[in-house]
Amino acid sequence: MTVSPNPEGQSRLIEEIIDKGICVRCGACVGLCPYFHFFDGKVVVMDRCDADTWNCLQLCPRANPEGDILNESGGIGSYKTVTMARATDKEIRETSQYGGTVSSIIISGLQSDQIGSAVLTDRGGATSPEGRLARNRKDVLDCAGSRYSASGSLSILNGCIKDGEDRIAMVGVPCQMEALARMRELMPDGEERYGRVSLKIGLFCTWALDYRQLDAFLKKEGVKDPVNKFDIPPPPSEVFRVQTQGKWRDFPLSQIRPFVQKGCSFCQDMTAQEADLSVGTVEGIEGWNTVVLRTDKGAEIFNEAIEEGWLETQAFPEDNLEHLKEAAQNKRERGKKSIIKGVRGQAWE
Amino acid sequence: MGIISHRSGEIDVLLQGNEAIARGALEAGVLFCAGYPGNPSSEIIETLIEASKELPIYVEWSVNEKVALEAATAASFSGCRALVSMKQNGVNVISDFLIHLTLSGIKGGLVLVTCDDPSGVSSINEEDARAFAPLAEIPLLEPSTPQEALDMTRWAFELSEQIGNVVMVRSLTRISHTRTNVKINDLPDFETTPRFDTNAPFHTFPVVEKHKKRQKKLDQAMEMFETSSFNRYKGPTEPELLIIGSGCARSYATEAVEILGLRERVGILHLGTTWPLPKDLATRHLRASERVLFAEDVDPFIENSVKALAADLGNELGTKEFFGKASGHIPSTGETSPALLLEVLGEIFHISWKNSFYREKIAALIGDATPPREFGFCPGCPHRGSYYAIKTALAWDDRDGFVSGDIGCYTLGIFPTGFSQVKSVHAMGSGLGLASGFGKLEKFGFDQPVVTVCGDSTFFHSGFPALVNAKFNDSDILLLILDNSATAMTGFQPHPGTGTNAIGDRVEPIDIEAVCRSLGVDVISADPYDTEETARIIYDLIKRTGPRVLVLRRKCALVQGREGGFPYKMRVDQERCKGEECGCGRYCTRIFRCPGLIWDEPVQKAKVDEVICVGCGICATVCPHSAIIREEK
Ligand SMILES: Cc1cc2nc3c(=O)[nH]c(=O)nc-3n(C[C@H](O)[C@H](O)[C@H](O)COP(=O)(O)OP(=O)(O)OC[C@H]3O[C@@H](n4cnc5c(N)ncnc54)[C@H](O)[C@@H]3O)c2cc1C
Ligand code: SF4
Ligand code: SF4
Repeated sequence: MTVSPNPEGQSRLIEEIIDKGICVRCGACVGLCPYFHFFDGKVVVMDRCDADTWNCLQLCPRANPEGDILNESGGIGSYKTVTMARATDKEIRETSQYGGTVSSIIISGLQSDQIGSAVLTDRGGATSPEGRLARNRKDVLDCAGSRYSASGSLSILNGCIKDGEDRIAMVGVPCQMEALARMRELMPDGEERYGRVSLKIGLFCTWALDYRQLDAFLKKEGVKDPVNKFDIPPPPSEVFRVQTQGKWRDFPLSQIRPFVQKGCSFCQDMTAQEADLSVGTVEGIEGWNTVVLRTDKGAEIFNEAIEEGWLETQAFPEDNLEHLKEAAQNKRERGKKSIIKGVRGQAWE
Repeated sequence: MGIISHRSGEIDVLLQGNEAIARGALEAGVLFCAGYPGNPSSEIIETLIEASKELPIYVEWSVNEKVALEAATAASFSGCRALVSMKQNGVNVISDFLIHLTLSGIKGGLVLVTCDDPSGVSSINEEDARAFAPLAEIPLLEPSTPQEALDMTRWAFELSEQIGNVVMVRSLTRISHTRTNVKINDLPDFETTPRFDTNAPFHTFPVVEKHKKRQKKLDQAMEMFETSSFNRYKGPTEPELLIIGSGCARSYATEAVEILGLRERVGILHLGTTWPLPKDLATRHLRASERVLFAEDVDPFIENSVKALAADLGNELGTKEFFGKASGHIPSTGETSPALLLEVLGEIFHISWKNSFYREKIAALIGDATPPREFGFCPGCPHRGSYYAIKTALAWDDRDGFVSGDIGCYTLGIFPTGFSQVKSVHAMGSGLGLASGFGKLEKFGFDQPVVTVCGDSTFFHSGFPALVNAKFNDSDILLLILDNSATAMTGFQPHPGTGTNAIGDRVEPIDIEAVCRSLGVDVISADPYDTEETARIIYDLIKRTGPRVLVLRRKCALVQGREGGFPYKMRVDQERCKGEECGCGRYCTRIFRCPGLIWDEPVQKAKVDEVICVGCGICATVCPHSAIIREEK
């Protein structure tokens, strides 16, 4: 990934990213200082900072769009193998999103002590889902399943690095993986911080929703109980599914799309190419995950989970791989177009 | 026995202006005194409270100024002498009743004292309450020294009874708070038994007849003013310049005339009875001089009435040259000063004087003993915590919310000490009324959250009707009652929620929460020191609709300081403090701004000022790097 440092501080982040509404709530800029909070689905400015050294703008995956265009790789980025996996544990399979691969790897890593803790995303309650530091199986299961709104969970990573936490696994969407790479290269103590993260699991992602808009919509539609599970089945289904008290309600995707975060339209990465391994659904095969193994570290911890009996695998169908690469490439093209339009037009909207 | 209640007089005692006013009322045999606290007037009632321990009089802090006047009027209707006191804003509050009352007239002498605060030194406005004297058609007396304050107050009761109407006495901050030797007189016997004569009712009908009668009373007063010893002239018989002045400005003019050596050329007409203007007296002096300067604080009050007179007598008097507010010589905002009068007289007489005269005099007296200070909450003040929580909740909400403020220490929320959260402040209780209006704008697309804050005393004063209005009209109002168990700003006077009244009797405290609940308004309470939890509660309340009340309860830091102090000893771990660096940017001293936290220049880190810090501990939760450490004392 090409990363170029940015010379200005908080004001620019506020003016160019937050005020323009293109923040994707990754949380990279939160938890390092008192000036930003992630709260109820949003990254908000608490006060104006006047420090003349800064990190926030450097870390922001949205703040350097020209740099991103230079990104050399295509499709799903570089990888070792792509395979199909699912949990063997019944409870994990029932509570997780698809095959429970992510939860299984984390639980396996915690039990074999490969990792000490993991930054996951909780289910929310009075306020939006947000990052949470998980240390055991129960914590992991409490966080299983996908919330299709951004959780700013890098703020929790920042917080626990500050508290001295080590051997952390980070589970996040592609922009969060990108922010981690930026942290490593651009923060003065980037290598040291990066060293504390011993595993990066990326989730496939087409877009995420603005929590506050989604929440208001669901409330208006009479969805009052806490949502146990969301799902966006692969095309051509075109529905957004919401499960409360065991019952599913389907909304046409066209009703939900207006809540897609503006900043997601500039994103070129569907499969989290900066992660150690990336996990998504498998189109057409229910209950399984697509797993893209990218680094030695990723492959090692994945294989260990298989050896320990947490995961079972199957070969990934050739057609699916072609289709996945095509979908990922399409996202790149869309993102590039938006960036060029935005930057050349001097307007992000 | 306190000097104020000293029965036999004819001695000189050191008195503050407000004490002199209180003594004047006692010498007139006042029986009923009421008021609402407010600088610079509070010491009048406070002095009378002390006196009530030894003398058979009744004194109360009323719930607001209007009720104070109404309560005092009852004594007057029953034939007893009564006094009400307030600051200038209070006169606005009483004006409705006052303008009706002066139509019906009164019986026992009823004196209204207003202490005006030019420049708004301790006020939310600058206002000349004298304007109410012509509006209500009542006589007005203006002392210029504590001695006059005493003498005029005493005489005001007589005048009031003679004409059968309210008499207004206007003091100023610099008179009310000046201490000087004052000659006191004997106290009377205080022997009146109140009785309301049912054959002589008090009301405003027939309206026009009563209005005529009210004006007759004024004429009567004017006649007495013509020969009043409160009006004095000093100077040559035909001065080159006639100064007509009242109050402090008159004293400053006298001083300026002395300093510039103009005694032989300038005459000063010192007016003590300023409304209605004693016409014959004024005419006599106008005849003697071609040029007139007006010296008075705030409005061109004397100036306008003298000019009106000069216009009426234009044929006889010819044209005069007037210097005053209209000519721009005396500003009509801000208080006057000796230096100002020196400047104006210097200009008129082309005398140059040393501009730095007073500054040098002050510097010689106090040196640089008073460092510059910005408006700020005290260390340990619960309002700092409250506003920090409000700021946090409004930032989380992120829809450009704001605070509709009110009157009390917490008005300082307009400044950085309250994180500049307050975006509107006007009269007592008005923050609630405004909020009740903002709370009805949603259907037109208004989506900014509005939080209104109000102290307990202000709530009882006039906030309550606005809350009733919000309930009645189902307005989306979020009221934060900042309950610090004191009327701290004006000096800890009791109010209906404190459990004692002015004279120290135990009374059942009125529970604000119970009052709100009885209106059917949801009430919860929180601790302003627990800023995080309080912010969450506020955030949650913002999202709800209808009238909601959150009571933020913590004792005023000054009260807490007296009652056992605070639990912590604070220090900054400078190893952990990040100072100017990214990750902090001097957050505690630049944003949180408790005066207990200071910047340690040599090491470029924060530190605790142990003299100032009281040890409330709030800041420990504010430091992003846990560098502010609290240890149990
Ligand atoms: C916003 C979003 C969009 C996605 N879009 C696609 C897509 O277009 N195509 C596709 O194939 N897959 C997508 N996924 C991934 C998919 O939903 C599953 O998370 C993934 O397949 C892993 O499945 P699993 O059964 O292993 O999950 P689980 O074992 O249930 O684990 C999921 C993990 O994700 C974490 N998580 C939940 N919500 C978030 C969040 N908002 N941000 C960060 N972490 C979170 C949970 O804490 C949990 O640890 C998306 C996920 C998210 C969060
Ligand atoms: S995209 Fe991430 S780094 Fe950028 S402003 Fe939003 S939360 Fe901060
Ligand atoms: S403890 Fe902190 S907030 Fe409280 S008075 Fe001391 S410095 Fe101020």
